[in-house]
Amino acid sequence: MLVFDELKKNDLQLRLVAVMLVGGLLVLFIGLWWVQVVSARDYQSHLETQQFRTIRLPAVRGKILDREGRVLAENHPRYNLSLYLDDMRGPFDMAFGESLKAARALQKQRIAAAEKKLDRSLTKAERKAFAFKPEELQQMRAAARIRVASEIVAQVGQKMGEPITLDAKKFERAYQTRLALPYPILPNLNASNIARFQESYTNGLGADLELQSVRRYPLGTTASHLLGYLQRDDESQAGEDPDFNYRLPDYRGLVGVEAGFDAELRGHAGGESVQVNNLGYRQSENIWSQPAPGQNLVLTIDLDLQTAAEAAMVRHQGAEARAAVVVLDVRSGDVLAMASSPTVNPNDFIEGFTPAAMARKDDERLRPQINRATHENYAPGSIFKPVIALAALESGLNPSRIFTVQADPMKPGHSCIYVGKRKIEDTVLPGEYDLRRAIMRSSNSYFITNGLLTGIDKIIALAEKFHFGDLAGLPTRQETKGDLPSLKRIHSGWREGDTANVCIGQGEVSVTPLQMAVAYAALANGGKVLKPRLVARVGPQDASLGQTATNFPAGVIRDQLGVSLRSLGILYNAMLAETEDPEGTGHPAVVPGLRICGKTGTAQVQDAANRLTGYNYWFASFAPFENPRFAVVVMVQMDLPASGSGGKTCAPIAHDIYEAILKKQIAATRTLATLK
Amino acid sequence: MFTPVPREKFDKLQLAALAGLMCLGAAFVFSATMVSPVEIDKAWFAQTWFRQVVWYGLGTGVAAALCVLDYHTLARWSFVAYWAAILCLVAVLIPHIGSMRFGARRWIDLGFFQFQPSEFAKLAFILAGANFLSRPVDELKQMGVFWQGIGLMMLPFVLILKEPDLGSALVLLPTGLVMMFAAGTPKKYLLRLVGGVGLLAVLFLSSILFAPEGWRVPIEPYQRNRLLIYFGRDYTHFAPLNATPAELQRLQQRQLDDAYNVRQALISVGSGGLMGKGWRQGTQNALGYLPRAVAHNDFIFSVIAEEEGFVGSVLILALYAVVLFTGLRIAGSARDRLGKLVAVGVVTLLFSHVFINIGMNIRIMPVTGVPLPLLSYGGSSVLGSLIAVGLMQNIYIHRRGY
Repeated sequence: MLVFDELKKNDLQLRLVAVMLVGGLLVLFIGLWWVQVVSARDYQSHLETQQFRTIRLPAVRGKILDREGRVLAENHPRYNLSLYLDDMRGPFDMAFGESLKAARALQKQRIAAAEKKLDRSLTKAERKAFAFKPEELQQMRAAARIRVASEIVAQVGQKMGEPITLDAKKFERAYQTRLALPYPILPNLNASNIARFQESYTNGLGADLELQSVRRYPLGTTASHLLGYLQRDDESQAGEDPDFNYRLPDYRGLVGVEAGFDAELRGHAGGESVQVNNLGYRQSENIWSQPAPGQNLVLTIDLDLQTAAEAAMVRHQGAEARAAVVVLDVRSGDVLAMASSPTVNPNDFIEGFTPAAMARKDDERLRPQINRATHENYAPGSIFKPVIALAALESGLNPSRIFTVQADPMKPGHSCIYVGKRKIEDTVLPGEYDLRRAIMRSSNSYFITNGLLTGIDKIIALAEKFHFGDLAGLPTRQETKGDLPSLKRIHSGWREGDTANVCIGQGEVSVTPLQMAVAYAALANGGKVLKPRLVARVGPQDASLGQTATNFPAGVIRDQLGVSLRSLGILYNAMLAETEDPEGTGHPAVVPGLRICGKTGTAQVQDAANRLTGYNYWFASFAPFENPRFAVVVMVQMDLPASGSGGKTCAPIAHDIYEAILKKQIAATRTLATLK
Repeated sequence: MFTPVPREKFDKLQLAALAGLMCLGAAFVFSATMVSPVEIDKAWFAQTWFRQVVWYGLGTGVAAALCVLDYHTLARWSFVAYWAAILCLVAVLIPHIGSMRFGARRWIDLGFFQFQPSEFAKLAFILAGANFLSRPVDELKQMGVFWQGIGLMMLPFVLILKEPDLGSALVLLPTGLVMMFAAGTPKKYLLRLVGGVGLLAVLFLSSILFAPEGWRVPIEPYQRNRLLIYFGRDYTHFAPLNATPAELQRLQQRQLDDAYNVRQALISVGSGGLMGKGWRQGTQNALGYLPRAVAHNDFIFSVIAEEEGFVGSVLILALYAVVLFTGLRIAGSARDRLGKLVAVGVVTLLFSHVFINIGMNIRIMPVTGVPLPLLSYGGSSVLGSLIAVGLMQNIYIHRRGY
């Protein structure tokens, strides 16, 4: 071989030169092998980091629908007018060239002037003082860029008939850090602007429409508490590539079902990689992982009842009412309506709050972000009495036995009861009461006496079966357990006065409106304590993609009360009298054509120093009496001086809701009739 | 009577390797340049790759013409060529004759052609040096002759260094030394010389890299920076003592900018991997990471290595190896010492170019503007390389036993 021939020659000098050549070539060979074979992967990753920018593409969020498929939350396309900087490279360079030319001419003039002054040509060192510094050239480039961009922006603004100006500082920052992404100049175009842009700026340079998907709650404040709201969150989720160069806006649910089903609604973000050149301009792009759209959520909410409940609260108590309504299907446990007042418009969390709306959102007294149906617990007052009645009946109370309410010796015409040394006032007139009349008139003395006879153990055991003091398990992240004394609590330091308090729904017992609705539903359905269901189904947005939906079962039973139908029947009649008997306090709830079993209540609200600050008014009910289907619980909070009552304040709201229910049923039967 | 054995007129193996290099050169100059819109818009005959092909043609023509004359005739004129080259090197330093580009005066603008005298000075030096050293071996033992030889080498060296063109100047040193060695200059002298030069080089480098201000050898700042980058020294060591943090940061930024070419060349070569990305598929060059100004000349090897991978790099090395070893074979079979020395000189010159250029692409050599023979774009370089191999073929044609 050629090389070895040379090495074998007996010309010593040439042989040495040959050795030197072999050595040199070997060094290069080893060097190349090291760089291109051993370290190739390192350099390939270097290349990727400098040539590729990854962009996180959030998925389209799933819709939230009511039980009949009506939209509660959706996404609407938003068009931003944006500058595509990679298309503007040519004009940028051209403008810079022009500025440079002008600057050069000026430089020449200055040098000429200096030479004239000195009357000789400048030396090399002297000329250097006139040379452009790198920073000056940089500035010139930036200025040229901003000039071009401003011109285009102004031009677009003129065509759109809406003056737009370019924020030079913001633009420059975007140019330095997000060159591969479009730069928005006019966000959120309306339809006429889109049309105007498309017909007048067809061959335009640099500017184009950019599509973005934005969450929208088309009904505004309707069901806003249970829906929840979103917060901007572009971070990667678990199991996702955490390293993106850029992230397009994405949102995360903070409370409500938006939070409880965030993962399902959100889907999976995709990724795009953009190849950029040495200046950072976009060259090509490749979506390596398509975003997987989020799933749709079907709620058990009936939009008609939800809006009726919200409208009723506003009509009777005003927009500032602090109130809650829960409507439950007593057979399935489906939450048909769950409303809380006041409300915050969830769209504001996306679009931004006006100062007034912001102040209202943070109002200390209104606290509109609290979902009063589940988020806070309140003393139930008299609406707890049916629970006491049921416990007493089950332990042998004769409902027709007459109990005499004693007159208050201090206040003539008023009544009271002494428990130990403590005097508890009664709101009813002194006289003779059986169970029916005691419920209807809501006698404290009757229920305290019979509660004490029954014993706190039996009362707590029954209350536990109702799951008071326990979470209902709603996927809204706005639940509180409420209070119920434990069996341990009632066996240490428990006094008769404490039992007396529980018997009238005060003291150590507090509930949420939802818990009351579940309890009344249990009374209505014959003793089944159901798990309330808010979400019926999670399913793919596009059924043709072959993903399967998850259905959540209705009518899941948490507990059986194990009470006799006789006891329940006695209660039904007493509660029916509450609304139908002329003496009943729940009379304003009455709707012709629907017989309602109800119970009104008023609970005192005390501050930390045990001073009375206000009242919580209640109306808890179910209907129809003959074959119960719906439980409706209404709660309204009022500060002192308060002049309401469960019957006057809450029953009218319930009335409106029952009216809506009736209307809906009539419409449904009519539709059925026409179908037949 | 015996009939003469039919003889090869040319060293065909070498010619084949040269043809291969020229084909690759045209292909990759095409690949390296046909990415800028300005270049693509040009007429085909004005495009860089085609101009390179024209230079190949011209160079081959000139080389063939030189083969008609016996190299002895050429050697007789070598001192004329040498002094003409020296004159050109002096001329290029004069502001109105030599044209300034990138802070160096290396070119004489002939209108149609930017003539680079140093390319021809190298060849003139090889011819003149070989002519000078081909005297009887005994004379080479005289100190006077030795120093004359050194002077012959140092004159163009200093002039080219003055341009400044460190790379072109440096390749003269191994060429001259190897020629002196091959001529039979006593080893004692050469070892002393190499030792002395080595010591000087070490002193020079340590003065540049480590000496405090005032003790540094004055050289062009960009040359110093290249050395600093190669040896991995921080620019901030050279900041004045009272430098503000902002100034230090600016120095660091400058260092990053200056090291940019080297880094990008290394990324190009390394990301090519074993098999490469394919012809015209390299992104480093296409996207402008490898600066456009140097991708088709000094850094053409990066483009080849990225697109053809280790396999391509080894192919290039193999082609050069063929040219170099056939060159040595020509030296071995030369008719006389003059022929042998010219061939050895050409081989060493070509090898030095290859080693420095490929070496700087993989960061085993500092960045100096040394072209890769026949692959880098450039008229002077292509012409010079082809004339050099023409000289070797000339020696082959007029070899022993004719």
